[in-house]
Amino acid sequence: MASKKFLFMVDKLPYKAESSRLALTHAIASQTVDIHLDEDDEMEEPVIAFVGDGVLNCMKGQKALECYGVTSLEMHIKNALLTDIKVLICKEDVERLGLSEDNLIMDAEDIGADMQSEIVPFDDILQQMEKSNHILYF
Amino acid sequence: MKLGVFVNQYTKQNDTLDRLKADKVGIILVQNGVYNATIKEKGVKSSVLDKGTEVYALSEDLQSRGLDPSGIDSKVKVVDYGGLVDLVFNDYEKFIWL
Repeated sequence: MASKKFLFMVDKLPYKAESSRLALTHAIASQTVDIHLDEDDEMEEPVIAFVGDGVLNCMKGQKALECYGVTSLEMHIKNALLTDIKVLICKEDVERLGLSEDNLIMDAEDIGADMQSEIVPFDDILQQMEKSNHILYF
Repeated sequence: MKLGVFVNQYTKQNDTLDRLKADKVGIILVQNGVYNATIKEKGVKSSVLDKGTEVYALSEDLQSRGLDPSGIDSKVKVVDYGGLVDLVFNDYEKFIWL
């Protein structure tokens, strides 16, 4: 069965604008739309890549729901992992910002997800861009 | 003049901040401005932290972004919304929002 690959690239910070939240909800919608498709329909394969300051969306322990009553980007990223979406985090930017795996959402085991986030060099994200049919920049 | 400056962006440079002159400049980090309180790019703290006599960060905005208030730069005082209101009414005469 044919499939189209979508890359959602996020380089914006969370919360100030809705960009990163939109990227995640669109990616999750792309992934879950499969249940409405017929066998002959073209499938969709979304991948999410966090680059630049966008990697700060992946910080663990976000308490947006408790503080402001809005869903956190952490919840959305975990939902993406739960729906088996590949989540890539740019290694160079993680290092530049003084972060490590310990600070970042690397899995969503608490909600039963098998998929894990991957910290990868930007070259890998470039390769993903080449493999994708469509790149959506947020 | 005692000037309170709200900073709600995480940016590498802020020319306006560089040019401000007042008897007392208080930087109040809110929204995405709170990243200035914690992130050390290439091991270097944000230059915004050197601009004010006092620097404050809003605890709700730190927590909502997964930033631990106990791990922020020692120069930064963490305030909640009540503390922010106190600053507005008691500590500064004028405010700008960058």
